[in-house]
Amino acid sequence: MRRLTDHPILSFRRGKKITFYFEGQELKAYEGETIAVALHANGIKNLRKTPKRKRNQGFFCAIGKCSSCLMEVNGIPNVRTCITRVKEGMSVRRQQGRGEIID
Amino acid sequence: MNSASAVIIGGGIIGTSIAYHLCKNGINDIVLLEKDYLSAGSTGRCGGGIRQQWSERPNVRLAMRSVELFNKFKKDIGMDIEYYQGGYLLLAFTDEEVELFENNVKMQKEEGLDVNFLSKKETAEKFPYINTSDVKAAAFCSSDGHANPHLATMGYAKAAAKRGARILTRTKATDIDVSNNSIKGVNTDKGYIKTSLVINAAGGYSHEVGKMAGIDLPTESYRHQIFVTEPVEHLMDPLVISFEKNFYIRQTKSGNFIMGQGDEDEKPSHNENPGWRFLTEMTEKMPKFFPFLKQMRVLRHWAGLYNMSPDALPIIDKSSEITDFYYAVGFSGHGFMLAPAVGEAMAEWIVHGETKHVDISNLNIERFAKGVTREKNVV
Amino acid sequence: MTDLHVLIAGGGPAGLATAIEAGKVGLNVLIVDEGIEPGGQLVKQTHKFFGNENFYASVRGFEIAQELLKEISNMKNVEILPESTVIGIYDKGIPVLNRETDRVDLLKPERIVIATGASEKFLQFENNDLPGVYGAGAVQTLMNQYGILPGENILIIGSGNIGLIVSYQLEQAGANVKAIVEAADRIGGYEVHARKAKRLGIPILLKHTIKKALGITQVEGAVITEVDENWQMIPSKEREFVVDTICIATGLTPSVELVSQAGGNIKYIPELGGYVPERNIDMRTTVNNVFVAGDVSGIEEATTAMIEGRIAGLNIARDLSKKIDENRLNDLKEQIKNFRSGPTSQKVCSGLQKLGFTIEREKFVEKNDDDFKKYEGKKRPIIECPEPIPCNPCETSCPVGAITVGENINSIPTIDYEKCTGCGICVSKCPGLAIFMIQELLDSNKAIIGIPYEFLPLPQKNDTVYVLSRDGEILDTGEVTQVTDFGNKSPVVYVKIDREHIEDARHIKPVTHSRNDYVCRCEEITVEDIEKAIDEGYTDFEELRRYLRIAMGPCGGRTCRLNALKILSRKTGIPVEKLDPGNLRPPAVPTTFKTISEGSEKNE
Repeated sequence: MRRLTDHPILSFRRGKKITFYFEGQELKAYEGETIAVALHANGIKNLRKTPKRKRNQGFFCAIGKCSSCLMEVNGIPNVRTCITRVKEGMSVRRQQGRGEIID
Repeated sequence: MNSASAVIIGGGIIGTSIAYHLCKNGINDIVLLEKDYLSAGSTGRCGGGIRQQWSERPNVRLAMRSVELFNKFKKDIGMDIEYYQGGYLLLAFTDEEVELFENNVKMQKEEGLDVNFLSKKETAEKFPYINTSDVKAAAFCSSDGHANPHLATMGYAKAAAKRGARILTRTKATDIDVSNNSIKGVNTDKGYIKTSLVINAAGGYSHEVGKMAGIDLPTESYRHQIFVTEPVEHLMDPLVISFEKNFYIRQTKSGNFIMGQGDEDEKPSHNENPGWRFLTEMTEKMPKFFPFLKQMRVLRHWAGLYNMSPDALPIIDKSSEITDFYYAVGFSGHGFMLAPAVGEAMAEWIVHGETKHVDISNLNIERFAKGVTREKNVV
Repeated sequence: MTDLHVLIAGGGPAGLATAIEAGKVGLNVLIVDEGIEPGGQLVKQTHKFFGNENFYASVRGFEIAQELLKEISNMKNVEILPESTVIGIYDKGIPVLNRETDRVDLLKPERIVIATGASEKFLQFENNDLPGVYGAGAVQTLMNQYGILPGENILIIGSGNIGLIVSYQLEQAGANVKAIVEAADRIGGYEVHARKAKRLGIPILLKHTIKKALGITQVEGAVITEVDENWQMIPSKEREFVVDTICIATGLTPSVELVSQAGGNIKYIPELGGYVPERNIDMRTTVNNVFVAGDVSGIEEATTAMIEGRIAGLNIARDLSKKIDENRLNDLKEQIKNFRSGPTSQKVCSGLQKLGFTIEREKFVEKNDDDFKKYEGKKRPIIECPEPIPCNPCETSCPVGAITVGENINSIPTIDYEKCTGCGICVSKCPGLAIFMIQELLDSNKAIIGIPYEFLPLPQKNDTVYVLSRDGEILDTGEVTQVTDFGNKSPVVYVKIDREHIEDARHIKPVTHSRNDYVCRCEEITVEDIEKAIDEGYTDFEELRRYLRIAMGPCGGRTCRLNALKILSRKTGIPVEKLDPGNLRPPAVPTTFKTISEGSEKNE
């Protein structure tokens, strides 16, 4: 997984560079990217551990349908990270199972 | 249409060295004929050792000049030929050898060679990977060494071609056109080349090329076999040789050990097929002196031709019968190490009428008429 | 928004086209789109579209989206609500969730258009939930929308148009597509798309399917296997691929949830991708105020989606007492009929028949009856349009009218070589990249071939490039004589090649290697090393061997000799059978001193 720079057909306009955190680790992203996309760009495609069989999962559809990209974002579980934009300072964690609601 | 100031027959180290040195001395309009590909014959099959420790003074001088040229090879020719001055270690196993080596070292020192006589103990300390239990003493010259013969041949050929020489591979000389004792041209399987000067540098086929001009050169070819092991990390600096035990061994830059022996029973031939007996003898013998070999694997085994002269020394001369028919033949297994100095001397002789760096007059063909003193330092 | 006339669920090609028609007549339109940017799948499509010039033929998908969105942005009465979803269709109205504000608004439009498109079919095989198994749309989203290559080594499952197109796009982006696996005994997509993939050297494995994905935390490989005539896996025909990404492109299924919630009838029609809404030719569902358009009404193409959208939009305008151009509406219906009249639309048509449509099959010209050979020596195009598909940019782009597709857009083009000036525009315009320029140089054994080239780096004049066959095999090297850029990112690269290759040479690639294209594994010698040595004059295999040490390693040349000879053959033009393969020396297997010396027979 890597970011493309030169492409024969497309030119990629990327937004401002921002910082977010995955499992406490500082990562870079561009404004406008979704969380899942930003993770992919950083080589991370294993997004969660499933509730029953404890399988590693990543997304399948990337457009908010398949629900395999549910992660814990800023303490909130079950966020569809493939259609949620990454924000400066955001804290993202692999969701373990169904996700815990903490008040 | 096709003409040249000189035609060299043979695309081994001798032919290409002569070609390069002729160009360097101002004769660029030359053709080199090679029936196969460059270094296909003895050059490409040899061990690649470069030694100055000889028993005869002229040979020591010729070899020392060669080492000077090998030292400058990369700079002059522009090719890295894996030249490595790890020294040559001559092991003495008999009292006769001890005495011979002592005398040789003395003579070689007089010639200015940095060479040392080593006691058994010194040998064992300096070269701990050798089983020295039967070794009585040794001679060691640290400026001896080895190089890659293919690369050297290709380096010379490329440098000559750059200066205008035409290097024709896959082109076989079939006849030398002579009339009135002078050369008119050379016939090849690809056409005729008009020339008045031919140099026989045909290695294993020197006798046959001589015959093309009607000259009966006293050279004969004998099969010599050789093999390499799988590569391992660098272990051994010098080329180690024993005349008594009949072997030589070195480690190449790539890490392979390459080794061979002479065979008294060989008959003159152009046989280049490897034989099984050689392999069994060598694999049994070599680990006795180099125990680390026992578990190593033989990777490739082949044979080449020693083009022998009656005294095991080269014949560098020109014909007394045919004008401008030169030969550099009969190297007896030592062509590679002598090639730079021989090529230089030959070119100087052809272009200037005399050699400028080293005397080769002792290598004339007339010497055999006076009786033969065989070079002793030969495997 | 007060007085909302039309709510469109989905801002893809169908939804946007509907909005334009409804917006044009002054209706207030709201497009609710889930995406971060509207345009649906169009924004991820980098290939040129088939179809006719009126419907963006030869324009790339993302550029079509830009054009549609630009048109909409000029309409004050049309609004797009991004990152929003119609979460249901209720008796009291339609709740729309805005993810950004996390707010739901209940809207009450007079007409609803459901243009929700489709979702990807998931395929069952072991470990298909591993990270790294993606739908083709996900790969396109990552790669073409966000510029992130999902992996380096990819296996594609499915040879429909999407699988073929995604394969080509992955290679354009620099990935390595190991294979396209297809369970059927024939390629599913258009032949021109298949050919584009094949000439990149991508194997298309028919009658194969994926058995399992390998890996623990993410995909590290895949096991595929051949299937028999009953689609059963043949265990003895299994093989493994080392890939980091598996891309499933086995088709789409319409997203009909909202239609059903609105009370519309849905019907299972496999030819159209699954459950589809019942609807009439005007795109009206069984609920009078609910329309559909695009893939939700049956899996087809962006081009038909846009036509359907326009038909829906015009009908809504008429419903809401706006004056419309009836001729235009009829014309659109004609166009979509024409578009579907070719053999590639047969499946869709039989699906539509099940919905009660009568399909008349029109005649199309199938034979490409040209006289290419007669004009030997003239710089001229060869049109390799192998099957009737609805497409005509070659005809409409030709400045001298030399190419004819004719009345039926599915017909195969014919060319009048007398009229042709050899400009090459058709080569650049053809969405299937199926037109090539050829000129035999009659005074030599050379020819010039012009190839549409959509890769980086773009070769420059005088560059040496590899010339590739239809199957992606390197045939030869050639010299670039000209590069013509028509401003549409499909420049035509002209290469001088041996004339014997004009029948087979259909692609090029630059003569550059990564530093890791190994030929000889033992001595670590790369393609580049060998080519460099050959350029330096080592043109005999043995010279090459001695110079580089190819075939001198422990494998004895088993791995490298033939490949090195092939490179030598390619560079020197001497066929391999005429090259000296060099010395093959004993022992055949490296053998220890101990073993040899202890051998029983010591005599030669």
